[in-house]
Amino acid sequence: MRNFREGPRSITWCLIIVATCALLFLFQKILWLVVPFMLALALYHLLSPLSKRLIVAGLSSSFVAAILSGAFLMVLGGTLLLVYPIVIANIGEWQHTMTRYLNGGSAAIEAGIASLQHEYAFLRKTDMSGMVRQNLVSFAEQFSGNNLGNILFTIAAWMPSLLLAPVITYFLLKDGAKLRKFVGSSVPNAYFEKTLYLLYALDRTSRLYFISMLKLALIDAIFLFGGLWLLGVQSPLALGLIAAILGWVPYIGPLLGCALAVIVTATDFPGNISLIYWVIGLFALLRFLDDFLFVPYIVGKSMHIHPLLTLLMFFIGEAIAGVAGLMLVIPILGMVMVIGETMEIIFLDTRLRARHAYANRLHKINASRDFEVHQI
Amino acid sequence: MPSLIKKLESFTGKFESPQLAILRSISLFSQIATGELRTIRGLLHQRTYIKGEIVFDEGEEAQAVYFILKGKVIIRRQGMPIDSMIAELGDGQCFGEMALLDDSPRMAQVRAAEDCVLDVLFREDFLILVQTHSQIASKLSLELARMMGDRLRRQTTSGYIL
Repeated sequence: MRNFREGPRSITWCLIIVATCALLFLFQKILWLVVPFMLALALYHLLSPLSKRLIVAGLSSSFVAAILSGAFLMVLGGTLLLVYPIVIANIGEWQHTMTRYLNGGSAAIEAGIASLQHEYAFLRKTDMSGMVRQNLVSFAEQFSGNNLGNILFTIAAWMPSLLLAPVITYFLLKDGAKLRKFVGSSVPNAYFEKTLYLLYALDRTSRLYFISMLKLALIDAIFLFGGLWLLGVQSPLALGLIAAILGWVPYIGPLLGCALAVIVTATDFPGNISLIYWVIGLFALLRFLDDFLFVPYIVGKSMHIHPLLTLLMFFIGEAIAGVAGLMLVIPILGMVMVIGETMEIIFLDTRLRARHAYANRLHKINASRDFEVHQI
Repeated sequence: MPSLIKKLESFTGKFESPQLAILRSISLFSQIATGELRTIRGLLHQRTYIKGEIVFDEGEEAQAVYFILKGKVIIRRQGMPIDSMIAELGDGQCFGEMALLDDSPRMAQVRAAEDCVLDVLFREDFLILVQTHSQIASKLSLELARMMGDRLRRQTTSGYIL
């Protein structure tokens, strides 16, 4: 019998990649269900250690599942209730602050364009800096009128499906063992042990993925905090944390994080172009380290996926399902890989298939044991 | 009145349902309290095997320990004649317990000698039990150690450990 740790064969790898692409294509159509399920999985792995501690303390698994997911729901609801009046009360001031920071950002861009125009004569003919300033200022002034309603509407539309996350988490915490028993009971005896192994491997893979994503965010946050603090940028911790969390959206998130840090730097240190270049350099260095070191080695290695394949799958995921594809591609690939590997073992193991066929034959013989007696 | 007593006993954790009584008959669970036995039952997978069906093969990667609730199984070297069996096990006995310790290959083939009902404890579930219910796990481990000691003593005659 072939060992699990040898890894899938090349043909299985091709099928795994094709299945991952097909799932990504399907999942982008049902994001309203996939997103809360992924959040629930993350929450389940986050709450699992606490759940185990409470069970050790003597509480039943049902009670622990209820109090943990209930507590999360209450914290979420309480936060929303607290945040809503704060948002309404401060929205005017925030818009003013945002305008100030956008002005600071546009001033920095203008200074950058001016220095380029000073260097290159053909750029002097265009009014690039005027256009950039006009666009940014009109964006800031019209933001609440044009976009705020859309953002609030999108949040309201997503709320019901996001509220599914704690409900799914509750059932994962409470009925995880029952779910495994249910799946196990539907599998023939010959494949039973392999199927159970598969279920545990899936659980392990998703846990490793979410833990490695948290590790990655922590490394990014520490790196950015250190870098921004050394450069003397204000609020380095807040900027580092926001950029690290935005970094969970591959490629687009880091750009937004970098833009935020540049805007804050440009506003707090007007005219200090070299500092802005240093901040951009810091983010570029982190991007390089993330893409070629941290993500492939922390996320990819924890899930036993080759770093080059991790990188390649990011591009494929983005091409198929955009931002959602970027975020979903690695966890989906990890799970499909485990399923593919187990299926390969089952299908290539002629002994297992022969045992299953033999058991079927025994059942048929047993069921028709009295037929000949009736004929006589 | 008897049903009320049963309900009270069930509430206090003393009442044993017929399923728990069957589990109690398994030697590995003899020292386990009723409440703890309920926790173990939540992790067990029940399987039925028809006479002649193979439970596992020699050389197969071991993932689980099996408890015989009903029926008999025979243990033998794979490919050897049916009468060259190493042992025959019946109600209340268990086999494949080495799987709880490591994932080394099975050392013999197990086949149902008659229609069987088996309970299966997966290694990963046992490891979860070690983390969450250390008292149950330590009792199980102690019983397991006793059983393996006994098997080792008898190894000179059989030559195999499952």
